[in-house]
Amino acid sequence: MTSFSLNGLKITAESSPDTPLLWVVRDELKLKGSKYGCGAGLCGACTMLIDGVATRTCILPLAAVEDKEVVTIEGLGTPANPHPLQKAWVEHNVPQCGYCQSGQIMSAAGLLQANPNPSEAEVTKAMEGNICRCGCYGRIKDAVLTAASSSTAQPIVVDPKEVVAP
Amino acid sequence: MSGVNLSRREFLRSSGVLGGGLVIGFGVTGCGSDPISPALEPLSNALTPNAFLQLTADNEFIFYCPRGEVGQGVTTALATLFGEELDVPPSHFVIREAGPHPDYGNPEFGGVQSVGGSTSVKAHYLPMRQVGADVRALILAAASKDLGIPAAELDTSDGFVSAAGEAYPYGRFIETAMNLPMPVDTPLTPSADFKYIGKSFPRVDALSKATGTAVYGIDVEVEGMEHAVVVRSPVARGSLLDFDETEALKAPGVRTVVRISNGVAVVADSFWHAKNAAPLIVANWDSPELAALDDVSLRAKYQNALDEVDGDSVHQYGELDTAWSETAQRISREYWAPYLAHAPLEPLNAIVHVKNNSAEVWAATQGPQLARRVVARTLDLEDSQVTFHSLQAGGSFGRRLVSSQVKEATEISRQTGTPIKLQWSREDDIRSGWFRPASLMRIEAGADEQGNLTAWIAKRVGGNAFAARFETALPGVLPKGVPDSVIDFVSGTAEWVFDGLRVDDTSIEGLGDDYVKAAQDIQHVTVADGLPLLFWRSVGHSYTAFAKESAIDELAHESAIDPVEFRLKNVGEDHRMRRVIEEAGEHYRSMQQDGASVGLAAHSSFHTRVAQVAAVSVEDGRIRVNRVVCVVDCGRAVNPDGVRAQMEGGIVFGLGAALYSNATLANGEIKESNFHDFQVARMGDAPDIEVIIIDSDEPPTGAGEPGVPPIAPAVANAIFAATGDRLRSLPLSTALRNSNVARASTDPSPGAVAERFA
Repeated sequence: MTSFSLNGLKITAESSPDTPLLWVVRDELKLKGSKYGCGAGLCGACTMLIDGVATRTCILPLAAVEDKEVVTIEGLGTPANPHPLQKAWVEHNVPQCGYCQSGQIMSAAGLLQANPNPSEAEVTKAMEGNICRCGCYGRIKDAVLTAASSSTAQPIVVDPKEVVAP
Repeated sequence: MSGVNLSRREFLRSSGVLGGGLVIGFGVTGCGSDPISPALEPLSNALTPNAFLQLTADNEFIFYCPRGEVGQGVTTALATLFGEELDVPPSHFVIREAGPHPDYGNPEFGGVQSVGGSTSVKAHYLPMRQVGADVRALILAAASKDLGIPAAELDTSDGFVSAAGEAYPYGRFIETAMNLPMPVDTPLTPSADFKYIGKSFPRVDALSKATGTAVYGIDVEVEGMEHAVVVRSPVARGSLLDFDETEALKAPGVRTVVRISNGVAVVADSFWHAKNAAPLIVANWDSPELAALDDVSLRAKYQNALDEVDGDSVHQYGELDTAWSETAQRISREYWAPYLAHAPLEPLNAIVHVKNNSAEVWAATQGPQLARRVVARTLDLEDSQVTFHSLQAGGSFGRRLVSSQVKEATEISRQTGTPIKLQWSREDDIRSGWFRPASLMRIEAGADEQGNLTAWIAKRVGGNAFAARFETALPGVLPKGVPDSVIDFVSGTAEWVFDGLRVDDTSIEGLGDDYVKAAQDIQHVTVADGLPLLFWRSVGHSYTAFAKESAIDELAHESAIDPVEFRLKNVGEDHRMRRVIEEAGEHYRSMQQDGASVGLAAHSSFHTRVAQVAAVSVEDGRIRVNRVVCVVDCGRAVNPDGVRAQMEGGIVFGLGAALYSNATLANGEIKESNFHDFQVARMGDAPDIEVIIIDSDEPPTGAGEPGVPPIAPAVANAIFAATGDRLRSLPLSTALRNSNVARASTDPSPGAVAERFA
């Protein structure tokens, strides 16, 4: 049994502690927004915030998040109440297949928490671990810079009522 | 069709609401030949005028998109065409992926329900609009009747009928509409009056994809489902001799292990548990011929075929002897393009539940009708006994035309009796999939004193991805059904169907296009290695453009003529091609004047003309593409921002392959396994991209693929400008390393790469 906060809600997960957090969140806790792309920390599709830091969860054992705060794409914002990053994603018409975008946005959220006004080079560096096979990188970069310039660089506060309850 | 016990749907069809042939260019539905798409969810109070729309009394517009969304934006594009004539904003539609049904046939593929070949907007430009116009006319007729106002005095806007200062939702008139005949051949909106076509607006799926709420195959759960991972032959098409599952069965969560036709399936309570147990299977495989191949012997084999085997002349014109006699400059150059995996970010998956005399399937494929047939054929069922739920895909790039994962899941579920969710790992995807064929090409070309092309002999050695394009392979196969041989191909069991095939037209497409010569001969030598082959975004053009546009550039330099001038001199009567080269050429010159090392390439594919200029720098052995200008003529751009996105995406996708991607062999096994060694473009590789769309009133042509082919030669030509080094082998990073111009030092182990990107 591992206890942690998921999108602001206290959770106790029953999966074996060596199970990667990604699969615990997807299979046991039924939040499907975070994706499996490589299983080796190479593509970033599984990215979540762990205590505010963008982290590849396909290689992160459940035990590592004991008592920590985990935020997934569902916790960042919802279709009815999107986060400024998500709004910027729509404004720049970023997604194509969309499969990588949850991870892209969570990496961007981690960047803006640490560095509210990143340069273009800093965005590129922070996002280098997230693969987009559709090749949306230019729009992703523009969307991150737009979100950064729209006074969004506050800590991410999750309202658990808005998130699909695990 | 009998006259008793008709469902309402069938009644509507027979009473003319559907019209005889439904829609020009769509399907060839015979009366009662197939129940309407299972994707059309039963709705108690909705107008269902055809297979594409359900309109509810609450004015909800549910659009069943006939082509699968794999990221290319087809749902937005077709909703735009439909909405333009229906007078409903594209964003108002609730969009569903259409299940298999003849009404969703692709007119460009002989009515086969499949997405590919950059056909969707071209094929549906008129038919999809006609559906919308006819439905709008039906609503107007119903409104006229209900309101007692002549139809001529009614207008529409945004899904509302306006009359005498009042606005009424379309949904108000559905009861009356159900009993009216379906109008046909309603005049379409003149282009000058377009509200949506030609305007840029957000993708209909942008918000769901930005909030993690879009549902892909991997996200579907079914009551009682079990998870499976398949252990396949490490050398493609090896047969399983025997296996020992003892240790795997002891692993956590494992329920059972079953043998299927191409391997051993581990069935567990989760993907994680199945994936962990899979390596514990001890399996012995026989060794196909492919097991003897490695990279060195592969290249030697291709080189031998190029040098020693007479090619089949596929396309020939003019007198070569005469043409050579008028030649002042002559080159003979060889170009190599490797095997490539598609690597869509969502690895393949499918859920199949085999029941008594029926089956239910959830999968994202490029051809749901074909994939359903795969299941039916595997189980010896009729198509109608298989319920198929189509899902959008997390990328495809050609990969999901083959549905072997659906066949695998079917074989497993048949044995377990449970719903089986089969998930490929990334390693499965890179190592056990279908590949873009490798190609060795030689171009011998000549030009006269004035720089006019004289002779052009292009010879390609490699495998064939398919017997022919669908439209030539499948004439008139519907409504009788798709031939079993094609289903075997789609299920991944039937490369042998094409034994004896000398050349697939897609194998050499583009190799002799775009320029006029006095004489030309395109030759082909088929070399089959035993790796399964498949279309890969832009198909043959993905490698022929590299050879063609590199050779043209080389001949221009040998002739001491500016490469833009050289192309324009030889482009002939194709004024659209001329225009994109001219426009790109201006950028080429201005970027050159700014001191950049630039290269240009132009290539037409899928009826679309594209020219690209790349500016590169080469430092410390690393190729950096700084900027790309892309000029495209795809006829009328239905959604200009969608076209821009496809060009940007095509450039980045093509750039990753041009610079890094390589599927290589050792003892017949693919050496690469994940994104650390099968490298693709990352954000730092992506150049600034400017897309210029030629304004056009011509009917639209493809956009999904044509952005890919020019980027590799544009970059190679720019590297020549930067370094004086001609790189004639893809990927270019490897070619650069091998050319000793510079030396890269990257450690490609998974740990090192993961650490770099953590």
